Amino acid sequence: MPLRVRLTLWYGTALALILVVFGGALYAVLTHGLRDQIDRSLEGAAAVAVRAVEKHGIGPFLPFEDLAAEFPELAVLDKTFQIFSPAGKITIQSPNLGHQDIPLSPTALASALNGQATFESARFQDGSTFRLLSVPIRENGVLVNIVQVGTSLQPIEEMLHRLVLVLLVSAPIALAAALGGGCFLADRALRPVEAIIQAAQRIAAGDLTQRLAVPSTLDEIGRLAATFNDMIARLEASFRQMRQFSADASHELRTPLTVIKGEAELALRRPRPAEDYRLVLESTLEEIDRMTRIVDELLFLSRTDLGEVAIESLPVRLDALVEDVRRQMAVLGQEHGVQVTVGSVDPAPVLGDELRLRELLLNLVDNAVKYSRPGGKVEIALVRESATARLSVTDQGIGIAPEELGRIFDRFYRTDAARAHAKKGTGLGLSICKWIAEAHHGRIEVQSTVGQGSRFTVVLPLTT
Amino acid sequence: MRILVIEDEAKVASFIRRALEEESYAVDVCADGAKGLELASAGCYDLVILDLMLPGLPGIEVLKTLRKDQVSMPVLILTAQSQVNQKVKGLDAGADDYLTKPFAIEELLARVRVLLRRGSGEAAGVLQIDDLVLNPATREVTRGGRRVELTTKEYALLEYLMRNAGRVLTRSMIAEHVWNQDFDTFTNVIDVYVNYLRNKIDRGQDRKLIHTVRGSGYSLKAE
Repeated sequence: MPLRVRLTLWYGTALALILVVFGGALYAVLTHGLRDQIDRSLEGAAAVAVRAVEKHGIGPFLPFEDLAAEFPELAVLDKTFQIFSPAGKITIQSPNLGHQDIPLSPTALASALNGQATFESARFQDGSTFRLLSVPIRENGVLVNIVQVGTSLQPIEEMLHRLVLVLLVSAPIALAAALGGGCFLADRALRPVEAIIQAAQRIAAGDLTQRLAVPSTLDEIGRLAATFNDMIARLEASFRQMRQFSADASHELRTPLTVIKGEAELALRRPRPAEDYRLVLESTLEEIDRMTRIVDELLFLSRTDLGEVAIESLPVRLDALVEDVRRQMAVLGQEHGVQVTVGSVDPAPVLGDELRLRELLLNLVDNAVKYSRPGGKVEIALVRESATARLSVTDQGIGIAPEELGRIFDRFYRTDAARAHAKKGTGLGLSICKWIAEAHHGRIEVQSTVGQGSRFTVVLPLTT
Repeated sequence: MRILVIEDEAKVASFIRRALEEESYAVDVCADGAKGLELASAGCYDLVILDLMLPGLPGIEVLKTLRKDQVSMPVLILTAQSQVNQKVKGLDAGADDYLTKPFAIEELLARVRVLLRRGSGEAAGVLQIDDLVLNPATREVTRGGRRVELTTKEYALLEYLMRNAGRVLTRSMIAEHVWNQDFDTFTNVIDVYVNYLRNKIDRGQDRKLIHTVRGSGYSLKAE
């Protein structure tokens, strides 16, 4: 059920309850009040009648007119008077009764004998209802007369009846109006929500360029829309990144595929000497190695993204590691005509994963050698600085342009110069180095001058 | 027919060059966008095969600059970017064709033939002058319905002459487009090959098709 309908129904039910309670209370209070008022007026009239009777005494056949002449209050039309003998016989009757007797009830007579007044309601055969007050008159403790004052209840019954009618007619009208109004208001209040839903549906369908219109008033809806937009913007950015990443990945994998396919097809176009086939197979193996490296590195990076790569936290002697790596890379350096040396080395104990740290350093030195010119020098150094170990690899190679420095740690990013200089890179090595440094609560920094060389520095916290 | 390949991936460029050379095209390779643009602008190429991701200058800029400068030889984009919007962008920038890596060699060669055919106004895929017919796809040549067997160089020379039928082609033009050479001492070789061709095509025929233009070069036409 839509929120709008639900809100309206809740609202309507509450209003109906209020109307019922209010109507019932109004009816009860009014009924009680009117009764009370009638009883008071009957008491007043009865007091006058009692005084009149006591003054005159009750002779036989005393006409009512004589009493009325002296007590004009008795001559009001809406009150009836009857005076009964202690035996219950009517002795005097007001003319507005038109000789229609109202009998004295046994209850009233019994109360009168005990000296008590009685209020009662009576309904007659013609349907009219009366309110009656019977008051005993006693002399020296003996009941001598009973005064009965009455008044028709018809006016107040009519009035109450009309009240009920008004309530029955007006309450549904008020309820209907309130429901309509409530529905309209709920609709108005929820319209921006509807707009948000539609926009969100378009966005869910894949159009991340969509944005919600933010209402100028910064109420809850406005804040919701702004929050949504913020979220979508971040989604869009991360989607763009992902698309760029997969486009780059597919490009990097397509190049070796293109070479393998192209060279194989070319070789098969016509019979060739065995030497040609051997060259093609060698080249194919080279490309397969390249693809394997790319796939391995991609898998590693995606596992780091998922938090699946565990990093050990054991004491590592960085100074020993530096010497190890130098020895290992010296051979590669010789192939490229590059001298790999070790500069100043401070003892620097750190906590970490020796395998990963070795991989990090090997990567950096490998890069340094690859991007050096023959005759160049690569220096590994390790210095302590306050609470950190600074492990640096400095080369005299081609360098990196300032505008590219910020991007070299991005996945698959390779500078044009790097592409031209060393074809075999995957563009992922520095991303991995950065991850390893950060996984050790450290960081990696780079300084470079085009044509003069680069220095990569890994800053790691020392064991305390 | 002389083709420029602008491609920075050395191995890709290398096998494309070998495949095209086996089809007796003259091929130059360039690995840098800016240098490629310079070469292509010089204008003695019949077709350019262009990668998009290039050092120096992106391929798309090379293409736009060429077209802005009214250089009109056919350009085939050869790239790993396979998204539709990339293709549209490339074609709109003035490319004549778009092929994504990895590709089949035969398809590349077929597309090269199509683009060269378009340049010469040839319709059915075959070149025909009088009763001399050359089919670039099968590399078959017939004169008056009779099959003519040609060596690779002879074929390349004939195809160049036929694509430029009616025009006078100087010896240095022929050297550039057929032999990928541009020095004058080479002209003797050209004369030798033209004679070979004459022996195979015009000998014993009433209507000679290969004509020597004294002091200039050669021309192939039906008189």
